[in-house]
Amino acid sequence: MTQVEKETTLYLGPQHPGITGNMMIELKVTGDTVQRAKTHVGYLHRGFEKLMEERLWMQCFPIVCRICVPEPDPNEENLARAIEEIEGREVPERAQYIRVMVLELSRIASYFLWMGGQAGSMGLYTMPQWTVGDRDYILDLFEELTGGRVYHMYIWAGGVRRDLPDGFAGRVRRVLDYLEERLTDYDRLFFQNALFLKRSQGVGVIDKDKAMEWGVVGPPLRGCGIAHDVRKDEPYEVYDKLDFEIITHEGGDIYARAMVRRREIEQSISIIRQVLDKMPGGPVHNPGPNPLKWKLPAGEAYVRTESARGEFGYYVVSDGSLKPRRIHVRGPAYVHGVSLLEKMLVGANIADVSVIMNSLGTCPPEIER
Amino acid sequence: MKEDWGREAGNIISNWARKHSLWVLAYGTGCGAIEIPPTMTSRYDAERFGISGMATPRQADVLLITGYLSVKTLKRVIRSYEQMQAPKYVIGFGSCTINGGMYWDSYNTVKRLDDYLPVDVFINGCMPRPEAVIDGFVKLQELIASKKANGWIRYQENLDWYRANQKKVIKNWNMPDYNW
Amino acid sequence: MNHEEHIINTIHTTFKSAEAEIQRKGRLLIRLRSDLLPAFVSYLKNYLDFNHLVMISCVDWMEDNQFELVYHLYSYAQKVHAMVKVRLNRSQPQAQTILPFWDQAGTYEREIHEMYGVYFEGHPDLSEFILEDWDDIPPMRRDFKTREFVNENYEWRKGREDAQDVRRTISERYDEKLPQFNNDDKANG
Repeated sequence: MTQVEKETTLYLGPQHPGITGNMMIELKVTGDTVQRAKTHVGYLHRGFEKLMEERLWMQCFPIVCRICVPEPDPNEENLARAIEEIEGREVPERAQYIRVMVLELSRIASYFLWMGGQAGSMGLYTMPQWTVGDRDYILDLFEELTGGRVYHMYIWAGGVRRDLPDGFAGRVRRVLDYLEERLTDYDRLFFQNALFLKRSQGVGVIDKDKAMEWGVVGPPLRGCGIAHDVRKDEPYEVYDKLDFEIITHEGGDIYARAMVRRREIEQSISIIRQVLDKMPGGPVHNPGPNPLKWKLPAGEAYVRTESARGEFGYYVVSDGSLKPRRIHVRGPAYVHGVSLLEKMLVGANIADVSVIMNSLGTCPPEIER
Repeated sequence: MKEDWGREAGNIISNWARKHSLWVLAYGTGCGAIEIPPTMTSRYDAERFGISGMATPRQADVLLITGYLSVKTLKRVIRSYEQMQAPKYVIGFGSCTINGGMYWDSYNTVKRLDDYLPVDVFINGCMPRPEAVIDGFVKLQELIASKKANGWIRYQENLDWYRANQKKVIKNWNMPDYNW
Repeated sequence: MNHEEHIINTIHTTFKSAEAEIQRKGRLLIRLRSDLLPAFVSYLKNYLDFNHLVMISCVDWMEDNQFELVYHLYSYAQKVHAMVKVRLNRSQPQAQTILPFWDQAGTYEREIHEMYGVYFEGHPDLSEFILEDWDDIPPMRRDFKTREFVNENYEWRKGREDAQDVRRTISERYDEKLPQFNNDDKANG
């Protein structure tokens, strides 16, 4: 029997379990192969950037963390650092160390969620049960530190909201030890799983020569063997005092991206241990003026943070008034989830669509904000 | 008299069965979707209450609106809701479904979910914890057992009112009208 | 001479009308006439190694009747960030697309077209991107008042203005006993 070469339109999402979040992909398929793909986003648009123009500077902090749900801390970090740069406010050293610890913890939490999603998209349903359960240990730490499991609102301009509770460092170490031990289980269950290897190697390849030009950032870029990491390129906070390497992997396929993330979990664990060792004493917040009368001098800043999915950037413009003039958010998924995804899905199998989406870490809330 | 008694007993039995197998439509409409994996997986394990995910609207019982609804999503949610088979229940999850919450002055999100869909249970908080989610489901089970979870009947009876509200925000209404 | 000064000197020799300055270490600020923009960014990309288009922002300066487009470019090799700024007339905003140089620029331009109403010449697909069936003025413009829009289009839930104790209301509605909180009964310990 000959295969019918008829082009069919397939709508994937927004209500589809294989889609990461709330977005839609319009696929033109012949047989099992995707010929063209078009992404439709905007289902989660809340108009954050408009809302922030109507808020005081202090009121922006609870808003920005809701931009990226799996990993809210880089948003707070970015806004805080942009404000500090415009204002010229110093941050105490202890606060900088605490910020790095929070950022790395949230990176690990985000990678754990990704592991679950990636395995779930391939049909390995034990992994989500394990990783999401283990991620809760980190969320419990966050809850103790900040009062919230998901949205922390912990980092703010001038430092962090409060100091570490008594004995917190020991509890962090205990969780890290446990997670490190669990990684060997994950290796056996997932990263060495024949099904995973078969479905990831050579699938969803990003061309190394094109990667920079297409605006790929974060683990997908490092998975192409290109060593770029904001933590090294433009060190912020105390990353230049810590000992770590940029992790890369050759190949540019789903397997390479997975291995980069897998090794970065170990690296983050080691970074947090260094932070806990080196953390000095002292204050954690450099207080500013009364938040209700808080005016920033006119100016602008672009700051970037390495989130779990790549470069997270904020462009903040102040016109010297009580409220921001413009805050523009550049989420890493903006490029990954729209233009790059459309290119990568061409020629892919329908079953691989959600695997590729997961491996890019597409997160719709930060595309449309 | 005897027939009524029989119907009553049937209702009690079917409601008892319904409340122990609540299949939730897997549609993460907002940021609340991040607390659904912890609720469903090993730590909180919602499946012990009979709560489980379901991929298609036609087999799902519960529509969980996880957070704010932008107008664009509202259109898809209404479509999904109308595809579901009765009896069906709606849970509003998070403060933003109650009064707009964080996004009270946003031009693109609806403020009161119960103007557009018949909500049986609201869970407040931003984000509600997994315990709160499970508590909301248990509340829904109690309402089902006591025959108070009749949002879908309300929707049928007041369809014109709901439609008018929906068409007020959805400018281009190009969806088929379902006919129950 | 460091990277930044070298780049600025090169820019000044090629583009006489561009005003370039160093904002801080690793960040340049370049102001430019809008018609020179495609030539300028392709020059930055091909000759000065700014190969990463970070994003394109738009700022509404309503008082000056101008839109400001900010092109953020980054050079991985030199670790320098360049913000290229052009000003557009607000009553008829029009710019040229830079899609030939970066594919992902198309997405940013589509969003700016939708949110500000800036028309990009040469862009193949400026269809609606995030919003659906939007018939008001583009929402990110400063003269669009989101609160007025909300008041017109959506219903508020009563009870937001008067901050009464909701615990009592809830307990009355469901005939439940008011839960005791820690600060209520300190004496009971």
